Amino acid sequence: MPQVPSERAEFIDGLRAFVPMSMSILPFGLVCGAAASNAGLTTGQALAMSWVIFAGSAQIASTQLFAGGAPLLVILATATVINLRFLMYGASLAQGFGGLDRRWQAAIAYLLTDQAYALTIIRRSGSQRPAHLHWFYLGLAGATWVCWQLATIAGVLLGNLVPPSWSLDFIVPLTFIAMLVPLLGDRPMVLAAATGGGAAVLLLLPLQLNLIAAALLGVAAGMVAEKFGGGR
Amino acid sequence: MIIGIGVITFLLRFAPLALLARLQLAGWLQQALRFVPAAVMAAIIAPPLFFAVGAPNIVPDLPRMAAAALAALIAWRTRSTLLTVVLGMLALWALQALLG
Repeated sequence: MPQVPSERAEFIDGLRAFVPMSMSILPFGLVCGAAASNAGLTTGQALAMSWVIFAGSAQIASTQLFAGGAPLLVILATATVINLRFLMYGASLAQGFGGLDRRWQAAIAYLLTDQAYALTIIRRSGSQRPAHLHWFYLGLAGATWVCWQLATIAGVLLGNLVPPSWSLDFIVPLTFIAMLVPLLGDRPMVLAAATGGGAAVLLLLPLQLNLIAAALLGVAAGMVAEKFGGGR
Repeated sequence: MIIGIGVITFLLRFAPLALLARLQLAGWLQQALRFVPAAVMAAIIAPPLFFAVGAPNIVPDLPRMAAAALAALIAWRTRSTLLTVVLGMLALWALQALLG
């Protein structure tokens, strides 16, 4: 394909890239919405979470902490640690999007998700080096946003109709497993995950601090392993 | 709470895009951030496999653990979110029916 892709073609390619992603976003959004309404948030609050925060893992974790009666400060700190990964994504995306104007950057930032980041990086490293990568991103991330809002609304409205014995809450760890496993490419990464998971189970900390402490321990374990030649 | 998390989340997403043209993250920080997704996801996945909801003591939930292990294997072999979720759920239902 010799010609430079137009903005519109890039945008449509972004929409196309979203289609398989909807398989992970739909069930996750449904579960997020259902969890929020089960945790005692009002419908308005549950929906506000999805458009104000727009970050599934942080929404799920803060919903669970809220239901468990954790103090506000712990909830905020946990959400911060969970979303620290956006710093890394943003730093990496800045290589292509750093030169755009502020409004584009704000839109890109608000729409940033694990999936949008991963697919955009894959496309950037592709051979054709599209000149309008931000339009691709907008199509992909915009579709993700719409899908997420609809899925949470459906989850809030329908969540209580599904009997707990169906164990549909298990979809959440399953989607996380699907995202986690491909990350485990080298030994320090495996160790970081194992430490994070193990510590989250074994640590019995007050105020629901396990998640944040376990995540930090996992990161530390990964760094130590890398430093002392766990190697790849 | 919602607005607080929303503001923090936006800043975490926006700051590197807006500032990083000028600023370079310290090396150790970049290294640390590489491990955040894996550590966080594992920490979210693991506890519900061991605790019944709200229970203070460790009670392994065998069907869930086995189904999670199977799902990890499927994710490893297929890299497909859809297959992982669908087969994982089917495995959980089958195991729950068997182990009762």
